[in-house]
This record gives sequence, structure tokens and C-alpha cells, in this order.
Amino acid sequence: MTRTMARAILVLTFLAAILAPWIAPRAYDHQYRQAVNASPSSQFPLGADNLGRDRLSRLLEGARVSLLLAPAAAALAVLLAAIVGILSAYLGGVWDRLIMGAVDLLLALPWLFLLLAVRAVLPLNVAPRLSVTLTFLLLGALGWAAPARVVRAQVRALLDSDFLLQARALGISPARVLTRQLPPNVAPVLLAQFCVSVPAFVLAEASLGLLGLGVSEPLPSLGSLLRDLESLPALHASLFQQAPMEMAAMLAPAAFLVLVICSFQLAFPQQEICS
Amino acid sequence: MEVPLFFTRVSVDYPGKPGVLKNVALDINAGEIVGLVGQSGSGKSTLALAALQLLRAKGVQASGRIDFQGRDLLRLPENEMRQIRGRDIGLVLQSPLASLNPALRIGAQLREAWEAHARGTDAEWQAHVRELLESVSLPSDAAFLRRYPRELSVGLAQRVLIASAIMHRPALLLADEPTSALDAITQDEILELFARLSRLRRMAMLYISHDLASVASLCHRTAILHQGEIVEFEETSRIFSHPSHPYTRRLVGTLHLGDREFA
Amino acid sequence: MIRRLFLLATILAAAVALPARYAFAQTSNNELRFALRADPKTFNPLLMADEPSETVSYLTHGVLIRINRATQQLQPELATSWKVTEGGRKITFTLRQGVTFSDGTPFTSADVVYTFTSMMDPKLHSPIADTFQVDGGPTTAHANGKYEVTIAFPAPVAGLERLFDQAPILSASASGKEASPGLGPFMLAEYKAGNYVLLHRNSHYWKHDAQGKQLPYLDAVRLEIVPNRDLEMLRFAQGELHLINNLDADSFERMAAQNGGASNSARDLGPSLEGEQMWFNQVAASPLPDYKKAWFRSTNFRRAISGAINRHDLTRVVYQNHASPGVGPFSSANKFWFNANLKAHPYDPADALRRLQLDGFHKSGPDLVDASGHVVEFSVITNAGNQSRERVAAMIQQDLKQIGVHLNIVTLDFPSIITRITQSFDYEACLLGLVNVDLDPSAQMNVWMSSGENHQWNPAQKTPATAWEAELDQLMKKQATELDPAKRKAAFDRVQEIVSEQVPFLYLVNKNALTAVSPALGNTQPSVLRPQVYWNAETLTLAAPAAGSKQLAMK
Repeated sequence: MTRTMARAILVLTFLAAILAPWIAPRAYDHQYRQAVNASPSSQFPLGADNLGRDRLSRLLEGARVSLLLAPAAAALAVLLAAIVGILSAYLGGVWDRLIMGAVDLLLALPWLFLLLAVRAVLPLNVAPRLSVTLTFLLLGALGWAAPARVVRAQVRALLDSDFLLQARALGISPARVLTRQLPPNVAPVLLAQFCVSVPAFVLAEASLGLLGLGVSEPLPSLGSLLRDLESLPALHASLFQQAPMEMAAMLAPAAFLVLVICSFQLAFPQQEICS
Repeated sequence: MEVPLFFTRVSVDYPGKPGVLKNVALDINAGEIVGLVGQSGSGKSTLALAALQLLRAKGVQASGRIDFQGRDLLRLPENEMRQIRGRDIGLVLQSPLASLNPALRIGAQLREAWEAHARGTDAEWQAHVRELLESVSLPSDAAFLRRYPRELSVGLAQRVLIASAIMHRPALLLADEPTSALDAITQDEILELFARLSRLRRMAMLYISHDLASVASLCHRTAILHQGEIVEFEETSRIFSHPSHPYTRRLVGTLHLGDREFA
Repeated sequence: MIRRLFLLATILAAAVALPARYAFAQTSNNELRFALRADPKTFNPLLMADEPSETVSYLTHGVLIRINRATQQLQPELATSWKVTEGGRKITFTLRQGVTFSDGTPFTSADVVYTFTSMMDPKLHSPIADTFQVDGGPTTAHANGKYEVTIAFPAPVAGLERLFDQAPILSASASGKEASPGLGPFMLAEYKAGNYVLLHRNSHYWKHDAQGKQLPYLDAVRLEIVPNRDLEMLRFAQGELHLINNLDADSFERMAAQNGGASNSARDLGPSLEGEQMWFNQVAASPLPDYKKAWFRSTNFRRAISGAINRHDLTRVVYQNHASPGVGPFSSANKFWFNANLKAHPYDPADALRRLQLDGFHKSGPDLVDASGHVVEFSVITNAGNQSRERVAAMIQQDLKQIGVHLNIVTLDFPSIITRITQSFDYEACLLGLVNVDLDPSAQMNVWMSSGENHQWNPAQKTPATAWEAELDQLMKKQATELDPAKRKAAFDRVQEIVSEQVPFLYLVNKNALTAVSPALGNTQPSVLRPQVYWNAETLTLAAPAAGSKQLAMK
């Protein structure tokens, strides 16, 4: 029941994201300068932002940007993590130490400088959509190290398991063990890593805006919409009572992200691991 | 004299634990069921793993020789060894549920075992699996094949495991404590199944157990392993009637006692 | 399920970071409290380069001449009079007698000589020394008697008196100490790193009010280190801080809304010297394609872009009317130097298109293309993290779209921006803030001289690239050497005119000075110049907090 609902929510969300340009009530980037900070109304269902842009349309467009790209990046990161983690654990010995050493090195790299270098190489006139796609790709290509460690630990445990001993005793080739016997047992770990990575990437993309990567005006992403919330603590607590509608409208992107992430977690079976 | 199907004269040292097996001499003839009895930790399982060259992965090297069908398994390269595993020598491990891949359906697991040494159409596979499952008294319907191991009882799981081990009609089946996780009734059924399979398929078997009663009911000959050494290797009936080694006498003594108490 | 809830909680926490609450120290009643954004980096006034250090120095040290922040006129402080001689090369001060440092030692010409000699010591690397280094040569100080000092510059300096507002006088008898005795209204009493700087009233302070009462009126000043602007707002609202020097428009509006007008502590002081400006890269050796270099060097193009920007919308939407359209390098806040004949470029997209057509630009569908068919698209770099500035950029983006120009906004970290605009010249346009601390145009030589390092659009030229830049060079030299204020003013008026015509900088908005002053604080005269509220700290008073107010909360 929960699973069905979660799946329904995911399907609806992704449909909304993909169809954003057609179902959004207004252009996400048009500044209605007479409606700056407008309260929710029939004209602006979630109100207008501080440049007079329709919040709902921006949320839909932001969802389109982030929900299509962040899962793709997370999938890339998790795929790389799976390959590296499984190989490292499976090869063992020197190889394991070498690969895990490389992973540690990667985790210890001064990312800031690397990303600055990337920005320096990129031309300045990059379309916002291309820039954000590249950013997510980068996150995916670089974000595999931490999950790779988790995967490796899991595979190490699995390699000592009776069922893999049994599989080898049946004459099943190492390649088949790696591709057929191991992966479904690693899958729950990968799914968990995926579910953690998606929101992490959504937020990371937003913070990369500080380095000239990620979305740029006027394109929104869920992350950049969430960054608008940074000014929330400054709002006096009483504003919540005075203007609950405005507050709810401002919190919509956060609520939306939480909903999607929870749905991700609930939509897939959580397999118990016995090893 | 007939050359035995399987013949060992093997020693195994673990890193930091020498003398797990000390020059263990065993021979098994085609179609014969040999019991290997010893306490836990006496090295029984090590022998089975050594025979299949599955110790290498743990960084353990066996010395001596293990002859099977005239070839020394200890000197076979890995790729040839892999051809023997599952096809010529089958293995059944102690705890059936842990020995099945928890994330694969029964059908998929069996098919993996089949495809390790065979190739064929879906139809051929279906025919094969139906016959196989019937031979171990398991249902062969699609619903059963779609189950996951966690949806099986221990007894059913053990039958699945046996089915995958005898998939390719091996000449030798190594069964390492195959019944220790089972209740008494299921245990009897499995023993009966082993006996029948051995008889019908002329399959030799090394039945490793610490349970003398089951050995007595199943095995033609029995070896007693004590602290890494074979202390006695005789016709099963002789072991029970005239145990010569003190350790054997003690083992047989507990059995009689147990019989009296629980019969 | 627990794990899922945890994840949810983490996301929420990440989305809405909650401000930490600080513990408050017990404070006395006649103690002024306001916030520093960071720890002072030094208590040595000669080494200060950060705002917190400057604040401490301003309150604890005296200067020879003060620029009155209200009248913008020079006002005698430690010097009772002065005389400029040798065409602006020398200034001779007559010092105030009977003044003592906070440690009780008398103030004489030896202290002034000591101060300037220390400041000019190349080993010290004093940031203030830069102001006094004209044409690279050092400035020397010479005592003509116990109460007379002459400071000699290597070259004439126009309006040199104003420089002395920036030079705190140290005590010769306390050489080598970092926190030396001062001549200011307050003295350093206690410093808790990351927490506060406590200043006590200087009982030796020389100023007295009209009734002969010794100043300052306040007993103490507590400078609380509050790194977070939101927290500063909150603590001001709770009465724990008495003033905020510099508010942004959003905070100002929020504060005004909360106060409901009755005890309105938020004050809009009108135009400040701060603004936002944008410029195009006109560096000949830049890595830009030739056709873009041609756009950016065209006066028509720059003027057209400027006219396509709706400045009134910027001031209304981003600054909520607490700003005015930018006119030039100085706003009307600079009473003497601002050229009042100039107006901000009016918003007129049709006129912009007409100017562009003069250069062969034309519309092709929705896009603007140049004479050789290139679609007009360029990027503007700006520093990340300044929300108002990013909103300004987004609004310009939409304005330019209306004349078919595509603007890409690239937010970068500050060091990257500096590298691009000063070394690699790999940028097309840049949007940054404009802050004038000094009212005198001489402080801007480096900006307007074509050889200047801060001649942002095309720095450090060997010879002026354009006729109007050559004229700027002449005018700036003229105003720097001319001593007659009227002639200097005429020269700099012309500079402002040329800048308005040639548009090397697009002046977008001039921000108003927004401050918050507690009703308890008396004798305030907030100024648009720094330090806006506490510039007359010695005469500020504090009313005893009203009964029942939050300030009475005891430990």
C-alpha cells in the first residue's frame, strides 16, 4: 500500500517534471515586476518570488532540472561505486589496498580547487541548462568514492558467505559470480547510497553556484530554490502566524524534495541481507 | 585391484594453525558412500574444500595429492579445476539457507548452476529442471521456481541445494554435515534421498558428519578423523562392532548410550 | 523507519539551518553595544586593514583633523589650526595644548613625528602609509616646536588635509606596544576573542561639551562579535544591541514592518556613497573574439545597453526604493564633488535600439545581431553570494532580452573574479559593488588615469586608447595639482560628464544608507559616511532602559 502510493507519487512527480514547460501556469523566468513577493493567489498559486516570478512555475522547472539530473548523476556515481567496490573487494590483497588507497586520495583531494579549475576551463557563455547538466555529471563522476567504500565493505562480507562458496563449488565462473551472484545482494546497499546521493547532489549543485557552476539565472533548480530559504531564519517567528500561506509557499521546494526522497526510499523493496 | 575413484593423501596447514590435516589417506570407489566422522574442528570440512581446491582463495595450500579419476586435483590449473567443480564433483554445505543466494529466485539459482557446465534452450532447461526436482522430491511448478530462498523451509532448501549439486550427475558428491541443521524427520528423508541418488546414479559420496547414527545408516565404509589424522578406516559395520582406536570406542560408546536413552 | 525519519530530519535540517543562540554577558547600563562582523585583526592602528580594527581604532584614537560626517567639512581635532604651503607639498599643524593620552602622558609634537615616522617605515608595511605615499616617495614629519609639526610630501597633493582623518596619532612613549594609549574618547579595556571587545571611557579625553562637562557621556562601548547578520538583527530587536550601521534593504523593510512605525528605529538616511556598477572589458589583448571587442569598444553599444536597463525597476524591486538610479562615480551624497547637472541614463529601449542601429546592429527575429551576423550574447561575471547583486543581474538579463540581447550570468568566487579582471582579462562584462570611502576625487586617480591599475575597463595603458581617456588623464592631473577648489571641481565635473557620455562604467544604482538606531540612543546624527551612526561616539548618550523592557532581564 505504502509502496504503491510512493510509486504513484514518483510517477506523478516525474511526469510533472518532464511536462513542466506545458503544465506550468506561467513562464518560469518572466519577472512580473508589479507582483514582487506576491502572496499566493489564483494568479500565482504559490505566490511570486522577490523578482515577481511565479513560484509554482519555478518549482516545476526546478524539479525538472534537479529531478531529471540528480538521479542520473546519483545513478552514475552508484554505478561507478559498484564497479570499483566490487572489484576492490573481489580482487583483494594488493589490488584492494591500491584501489582503496586511491579512493582515500580522491576523498582527500581539495575539491574546491578542482572545481575552480573546471570552472576556469569552461567558457563563460554556457547556456544555463548545459552548465547545470555538466555540473551534475561532474558530481556523479566525482561522487562515487564514499559509496565505493560502503559497497566494498558489503562485498567483503558477501565474499565470505556460504552461498558464494557454494556457487564456486558449483563451477560457476568468477565472471558470473561478479555479474550475477553478487550484484543483487549489493543492490540494497546501492539503492540506499542512491537515495542518499540524490538529495546530497541536489544541494551540492546549489552550493556549486558559488563557484560559477550549477544553474545560473534565470534557470531554477531545486537546490537554488532551497537556497532562497537561507534567509528564512531571519524572518521573525511571528511571521509564521501572520502569514502561514506565504511560509507554506516558501517551504514548498523543501517539502517537495523531502516527499520525493521519501518516495524513493519507500518505492523499492528493502531486501534483508543474510550473510 | 580396482583403481579408486577418489584417493587422498593430503596435508593442510592454515596460516598460524599447522596440522589441520595430517597426511589424510582416504579412498572412495565409484558408487560407494564413505563416511567421515569427527568432532567439529577436526578438519572434516577442510578436506572437502581441499578436494575442490576452494582453499586457495583463503590463501591456504594443501600438500600431498588428491587423485580423482586418475588426475591429481592439487596440481590442476584453476580453469580445469572449475570444469570439475559441480560437473564431476558436487558439494552440499551444512546450512542450506545460508548456502543459497538470498537475492536470487530458486529457478535462477538452479539455472546458474546448470549454465555453469551446460548450454541449451529454454525447453531443454525446463525438461531438465523438472526431472531434477522430481528426483529430489521437490515441486517443479513455476510458482516454486519463482520463490526466494527465504520463502523456503530448511528441508526444502536443502533439497534445492542437493538438486543444484547433482545437476550435472557428478561422479562424487561431497556432503559436509548436510543434515545437521535439520530436524530428525527431515534428516531421515534427506538421508534416504542420498541413499537413493547414490544407488540410482551410481554416485560416490563422501558423507561428512559428526553424527554417528546417520553415518551408520548410510555409509558403506567409515573413516574416523581425530585431530587431523585418520585414526581408523573400516567397513562401517566393523567400526561399530569392533572399534579399535580409543577415540572411536568413545564415539561408539556415546552412540549406544544415546540410543538407549532416546529410543 | 527510524532511518528514514532520520534522513527526513537531515534534509529538513539542511534546508532550514537554524541560528544558534548566544549567551549574553552582564552589562552595565551606560554601555553602548553594537556588533562587529569579525574579530579585529590588530589593535595597532597603523596596521589595520579590516573594518573591525578600524572601528576599534576610530573609538580609541584621535586624529589631527576630522571630517565632520554630517557637514563633510574639515574640523580641528588634535590640531587647532593648519596651513598648507609650497603648493600643497607641506602642511604645518598647530597642536592642541594640554591634551593627554589615556595613560596620562602629555601629547606633543614628538608623538605626531613618531606616528608618521613609524607609519612610513617600509618594514612595517602599514596600509595607511599607501595614502601618504605620493609618486612612490615617502612623507616626512618634522617638529618645529613642542606644539608645531610640519608634514612634507614629495609632490603636491590636492586636498591633502582630508588624509589626516585616516591617521590615528600614537604615543611616542609607548612605542612597540600593540595596544598603545590613545587620544580617543574610549580606551581598550578587555578583549575576548570571538566574543567581544570592551572599551572603557577615557578619563583623560580632552573634549568637553558646551556646559564644560567632560566627554564622552558613555561609560563603555561593548563591541560584540556577531558574525551573522540575522543574529545581529535579532539581538537588535531584543534591545541587546543599540545600533546597526549598515542594513540591507530586505532587513530594513523587515525591521520597519515589525516596528510598525511607532518606535521606528530603522532609518533611511538617503543616498550613500555605495552603489552597483557594471563595465565591459575593453582590453585590447583580452582573449575575446574580435567582433566582441568591437562591440565593447563602441560607445553606442555601451550607451545603448545602459539605456536598455530599467534602473527604476532595480531600485524598486531589489532595493525596495531604498536606492536611486546610479548617475556616476559619486552620488549626491558627496555634497561638494557630485556633478548635479548629470542625470541617470533614462530607460528607453527604443532609443537603445536606435543607437545600436548606428553601429549596424539589427533585429533578426527575436535576436539582436551585429553587422556581420553574430547574435549578440555576452556574459557578465559577478561575485557569488550577494543576493541583491544576483537579483540586479537577473533583472538586467530580462531587460536586455527585450532588445534581443542574451545575457549569461556567471557567479564566481571573489578571487576568480579578481584574476579575470586584473590578469587574464578573460571576461566580457563584470558587475560589482562600488564603495567610495574618500570623498575627494584624488583618491580615484588610479581609476580614471588610463595608466591606472584600477582603470577597470582597460587597465595600465601605456598611452590612452581613446581621445576621451586622454582627456580624462588631463583633467585628473589638473584636479590633482590645482589648489583652487572651484577649478578642481570644474575639472572633476567634466570627468563625470565624460564618464556619463562614454559609459566606461554603467552606473546602475546608488544605495541609500540604511541604519538602525535604538530609541534609547541620544544625540545621534547618523551620516551616510562611515562610520554612519557612531561617528560622534563621544557625544552619544543612552537613556536608562524603560521598566519592563527586555534589557532588564537579569541573570
